[in-house]
Amino acid sequence: MKKIEIFEPAMCCPAGLCGPSVDQNLVRLTAITRSVNHSHKAMIVRRNLAQNPNAFVRNQQVAKLLKTDGMSCLPITMVDGVVKKKGVYPTDAEINAYVGAAAKVNQ
Amino acid sequence: MTLYQPSTAGLTHYLFFTGKGGVGKTTMATATAVQLADAGKQVMIVSTDPASNLQDVFETKLTNQPQPIPGVTGLDAANFDPIVAANEYRESVVGPYRGVLPDAAIQNMSEQLSGSCTVEIASFNEFAKFLTDPTIDQKYDYIIFDTAPTGHALRMLQLPSAWSNYLDQNHEGASCLGQLAGLGDQKATYEKAVATLNDGMLTTLLLVTRPQRASLVETRRAADELAQIGMTNQKLIINGVLEEPTDEPSQNIYDRQQADLENMPEKLKQLPVAEVPLRAYNIMGLDNIRTLLQDQQPVIKVQPVNQADFPSIDSVVADLLKTKKKIIFTMGKGGVGKTTVAVQLAKKLAAHQKTVHLATTDPADHLSLFQIDDPAITVSHIDEQQVLKAYQNEVLSKAKQTMSADDVDYIAEDLRSPCTQEIAVFRAFAEVVAQNDSEVVIIDTAPTGHTLLLLNSTENYAEEVKRTTGEVPQSVLDLLPRLQDASQTEIITVTLPETTPIYESLRLNDDLDRAKMPHKWWIVNQSLLATRTTNPVLQARANSETQWIEKVKSVSKGHYAVEKWQPNFEKINLTV
Repeated sequence: MKKIEIFEPAMCCPAGLCGPSVDQNLVRLTAITRSVNHSHKAMIVRRNLAQNPNAFVRNQQVAKLLKTDGMSCLPITMVDGVVKKKGVYPTDAEINAYVGAAAKVNQ
Repeated sequence: MTLYQPSTAGLTHYLFFTGKGGVGKTTMATATAVQLADAGKQVMIVSTDPASNLQDVFETKLTNQPQPIPGVTGLDAANFDPIVAANEYRESVVGPYRGVLPDAAIQNMSEQLSGSCTVEIASFNEFAKFLTDPTIDQKYDYIIFDTAPTGHALRMLQLPSAWSNYLDQNHEGASCLGQLAGLGDQKATYEKAVATLNDGMLTTLLLVTRPQRASLVETRRAADELAQIGMTNQKLIINGVLEEPTDEPSQNIYDRQQADLENMPEKLKQLPVAEVPLRAYNIMGLDNIRTLLQDQQPVIKVQPVNQADFPSIDSVVADLLKTKKKIIFTMGKGGVGKTTVAVQLAKKLAAHQKTVHLATTDPADHLSLFQIDDPAITVSHIDEQQVLKAYQNEVLSKAKQTMSADDVDYIAEDLRSPCTQEIAVFRAFAEVVAQNDSEVVIIDTAPTGHTLLLLNSTENYAEEVKRTTGEVPQSVLDLLPRLQDASQTEIITVTLPETTPIYESLRLNDDLDRAKMPHKWWIVNQSLLATRTTNPVLQARANSETQWIEKVKSVSKGHYAVEKWQPNFEKINLTV
């Protein structure tokens, strides 16, 4: 099963509600994460810096990127341990490409 | 009206006192605890008072473990400070990563765990411990808390998705409740705590209010909110009723109180109501605590009042003029008179040939009082409820397009968090401050430092990442640097000369410091000391103000003013 990990900056809320405007990206990501995980054919794991800092230390690629690029490297998207994207969230199309045809999500 | 008598009030096993800062929750809870213990009951009192009044009253160092109180057989006390609990929680999360993760990451984590949500949830966690401990349950007849959990915290915990999605797996992101990630194993504890709170046979909510309009309105709101989440066994205690007026200030206060009680919200009139009179002594020390609720009161000793002269609001105005401030906020918790101070400042600045724009967040029922005669002053109204609702609707309509009903519920609850409200109002501030028609803008409420820091990090983030969605409005981007610029902005702290309001103000100031927002002046409002009353009951209160005014003087390095209590101050001061 494909495993997508998204390492995010510390946030109060999954949908970015506490920002100065709603981040549609985060609302969208919350929804697509849910539907991918419910398909049981692929898994998306979101790691929030405020809640799971250990994940950022344990993953050596992420730890290294944080040291060299600073906070601007977040969010980092990894697919089966390979960094696919940094600094921006993946689009729905990209997520669909990562998980492959098996778990394609209706949009 | 009936005097509040704990032993005959039909109280339950668990008692929660609730009310805004400064209404006397801790005093009422303490007097209740001592009276019940004196009647032979086993009692525990749990205080959440950051000022630790209880330690002074009992002359005992308290911790979050119950310990016996010398001089009161059968009474144990514990104290936890929700801010400290939140700090400890934050440190337990962040601490291990100092020096491991880059500083910027540490800072980002710390700020996200510094909001009021963290405080609410961390203190609920402490409540839950006391509510579910079987030893405590069996050992005591009464378990008394001097605060109640917030409606927001309770609603969060009652949402099914809180548990099924966010604590068990926590794969789909964080939330206000995500602050306590990793505590999913406490689900049973939380469920039991919530069930106990909602059981009217076990739990009574005692709403403490002052006999003042603003306090009564706020109490009604709290009563509604807590009833909606299931705390329906409620009683009302009106604290500080003046009984015998003897001079002009006391007559004015008496008339005002009686009129406000007459017009008390209907919902509150339907509750069992009891009163506690204003006493001629400070409620400090066991003797006074024991006397507070008795019919027979000691003979009043007339205390000469310290007739010190304090600087007035005019010295604040002179400095604002001299330093040519363009944006002025009046900051403080509800009920301290932020709006009346803002209106006075507007009038005085206009008298010095300034054109002033006054933006108020005061509830709409006050608006009729804003009579604008002075062409130099324009007034606009920010309706916090409306601003918040618009923001909530905007988010929810987007969320509904992509999310399941459970998740939408969750988002809806997040949208009721204090942070969200601050952000929504902040967006409205930005619009007001962006206007250029007047030389000075005065706003009768201020963003907290935490709000600014959240926005600030988002701003940098927006720049670095060039996100395509979630655009920050330009007016908000422009506002941030202006607010941190001491040459044009001043945030005036408005407070009352009492323990809890002063401590709350100090905390708001710490927040501002973190966000590097300029604040220099303090205004102590509604001072009885400054009225020079000769009424013995009021004199006792007035004398107790001295230490708090001194505290403000030292904290503000002399940049302070004291405004005296005035009858009908709302009516007088809100007329522009």
